[in-house]
Amino acid sequence: MRRLYRRLWSETSVISRRQYWGLIFVLPVVVFFAVFFLYPLVTGFILSLTDFTLLRPPVWVGLDNYFDLLKDRLFLKSISVTFGYVFGSTVPTWVLSLMAALLFYQKFPGREGLKLLFFSPLLPSVAVVSVIWVVLLHPNGILTHLIGPLFGKAEIAWLHDLQLSPIVIVIARVWSVIPFYMLIWLAGLTAIPQEMRDAARVDGANRLQSFLSVELPLLRPTAVFVMAVSTIAAFQGFTLQFVIAPNQGGPVDVNTTLGIVIWKYGFQFFRMGDAAAVSVVLFAFIMIITGLQLGLGRSDDYSLN
Amino acid sequence: MSKIGASRIARQYESNAAFETRLRKRITKLILLSVAIWVAVLFGFPMYFMGMSAFKAESEILATPFRWLPEEFVGVAHYERAFDIAPIGQWYANSVFIAAVQVGASIFFGAMAGYGFAKFSFRGKRLLFGLILSIMAVPFQILLIPLFVLVRQFGWQDSYAGLIVPGLLSAFGVFMMRQFAYSIPDELLDAARIDGAGEFRIFMLIALPLLAPASASLAIILFLFSWNNFLWPLVVVQDPNLLTLPVGMTVFSQPYRGDPIIGPAMAVSTLATLPVALLFIFFQRYFIAGMMVSGIKG
Repeated sequence: MRRLYRRLWSETSVISRRQYWGLIFVLPVVVFFAVFFLYPLVTGFILSLTDFTLLRPPVWVGLDNYFDLLKDRLFLKSISVTFGYVFGSTVPTWVLSLMAALLFYQKFPGREGLKLLFFSPLLPSVAVVSVIWVVLLHPNGILTHLIGPLFGKAEIAWLHDLQLSPIVIVIARVWSVIPFYMLIWLAGLTAIPQEMRDAARVDGANRLQSFLSVELPLLRPTAVFVMAVSTIAAFQGFTLQFVIAPNQGGPVDVNTTLGIVIWKYGFQFFRMGDAAAVSVVLFAFIMIITGLQLGLGRSDDYSLN
Repeated sequence: MSKIGASRIARQYESNAAFETRLRKRITKLILLSVAIWVAVLFGFPMYFMGMSAFKAESEILATPFRWLPEEFVGVAHYERAFDIAPIGQWYANSVFIAAVQVGASIFFGAMAGYGFAKFSFRGKRLLFGLILSIMAVPFQILLIPLFVLVRQFGWQDSYAGLIVPGLLSAFGVFMMRQFAYSIPDELLDAARIDGAGEFRIFMLIALPLLAPASASLAIILFLFSWNNFLWPLVVVQDPNLLTLPVGMTVFSQPYRGDPIIGPAMAVSTLATLPVALLFIFFQRYFIAGMMVSGIKG
C-alpha cells in the first residue's frame, strides 16, 4: 500500500514537472511577444491620446488627436485614396485571378511551362516591383509605346498625372498579386471532387451551368478567404505608393494612403500622437473587414490539407 | 448487300463522330493554349524586361520597337555601375545577415514553443496560444509607431539590433510548428523519458530533428518575409551602410545626378530577386505551399 502510494505520488510529480517544462518551452516566445507585440499594441492606443514629438515626454490630450483628424485635410483625403485603392485593386484581382485559375485548371499542352512564366510576379519584392514599374511607366517607356498611339500621344507622364497615377499603381499591384490569388483559387478548384462535376454532367448541365451551380458554391470558402486577405492587404497599401508615386504618395497626395499618412506624420513631421491615432483608425477599418469575413463564412473551412 | 452497306455507313458515321469530337477537343486545346500563351507572356514580361534590360545599353532599354534581345550586349557593365553608385554589397550582406538570424531564431524558438503547445498541458496554455494567434491578425502598420518609440528607448535606432530584434520571432512560425509537432509520436518521447533523458534533451535530440525537415516551406516563407521587409528597415535606420537591399535599392528609381540609370536599376532588381528565384526553382513545391498557407503576397 505504501509502495503504491509512493508510486502514485512520484508519478504526479513527474506529470507536474512536465507541465512546468511545457511552460518553459513556450516562455521565450511569450516573453518576446509580450515585449514586441502586446506592449506596443497597448502603448499605441495610449500614444494616440497624447502629443508626442520624441523630444519631450508625451503630453496627455485625450481624444483631441481624433477630433483634429476629422478636420485634417490630408487624413480625409487619404481615406478616400485608400478606399479607392482597395476597391480598384481588389475587385479586378478577384475576377482576373479566378479567370486565370480556371484557365490553368484546364488541360492543354505546355500548361506547366506557361504556368511557371505566369507565376514570375511571385518572385520580386514590392520594392523590386516598384522599381520595375517606374521604368515600365517611363514617359517614353514601353507602356507609352503600346497605348500612346491609341490617343495620339508620344509621351505620357503616367506617374505625374493626377488621374492616371492611381490607376497605374493599381495595375502594378494587380499584376504583382494575381498569381498568388490564382494559386489559392486553383487549390480550391482542385479540392472539388470530380464526381460532383460528373454528376452535374450526367444531369445534363453544360460546362457553364456546372460551373455556376456546382463549382462556384463549393468555392465559397475560397472566395471569402481571397476577398478578406486581399482587402486587408490593400488597406495597408504603402510601398508602391511610397516608391512609384512621386514625392511619397504624390502627385498632390492622390496616392497618399493611410499607411503613407502614418509614415508622414510619424517620420517626416514627428507627430507621433497623430500618427498613432491614424494607426488606430486603420486598425478599426481592418478589424471591421475581419469581422465581416467571420460573418460572411467560416473562412477556416479553407484548408490546404 | 444492304446489310453490309448499312454497317459500313454506320461504321463511317461512327468514325466521323469520333473524328469530330477529337477535332473539337483539339481545337479547344489550341484555343486554351493560345490564350494561356498571351496570359503567361503578359504576366512574365516585366520580369523578362528586368533581366534583359540589365544587359542592354542604356539608350536601347526604352527603344521602340521593343528589342527582345540586346543589340549591343553590355555584359556586366550595369552591374558594376550599380555597385559604384551605391553600397549594394553592404546592403546585400545586411539583408542576408538579417534574414539568416531571423529565420534561424524563428525556426528554433518556434519549434520549441510549438512543441510546448502541442505536447504539454499547462495552466494558461489556451490563453497564451490565443495571444500567438491574435498576433497574426494584427497588421504591422498598427505597431509601427509604438514599436519605433520602444526601439528608440532601447537605443537601437540605427543598429542591427533595431533591424533584427523586433522581427526575431514569428507568430506564424509558432503556429505552423505546433501543427507539425502534433505528428510527433508520444511513444517516442515516452521511450526517451523512460531511458532517463531530460525534457530539454528530448526536445533537442528527438523533437527538433523531426520538426526541422517538416519546416522547409516555413523556412522559405520566413526568408521571404525578412528579405522583402520594407517598412520597418525604412524607419529604423538612417545610416546608409545599415540599409537593407529593398530600402536601399529604391534610390535606383530616380535618375542619378541627372543621368538615367535604368540599366543599373534593372541590374540591382535582378540581384534582389535572384535568391527568391533560386528558391523557387529548386524548392518549387515548398515555395508554393508556403506562400499559400501564409498569405504572404496579400
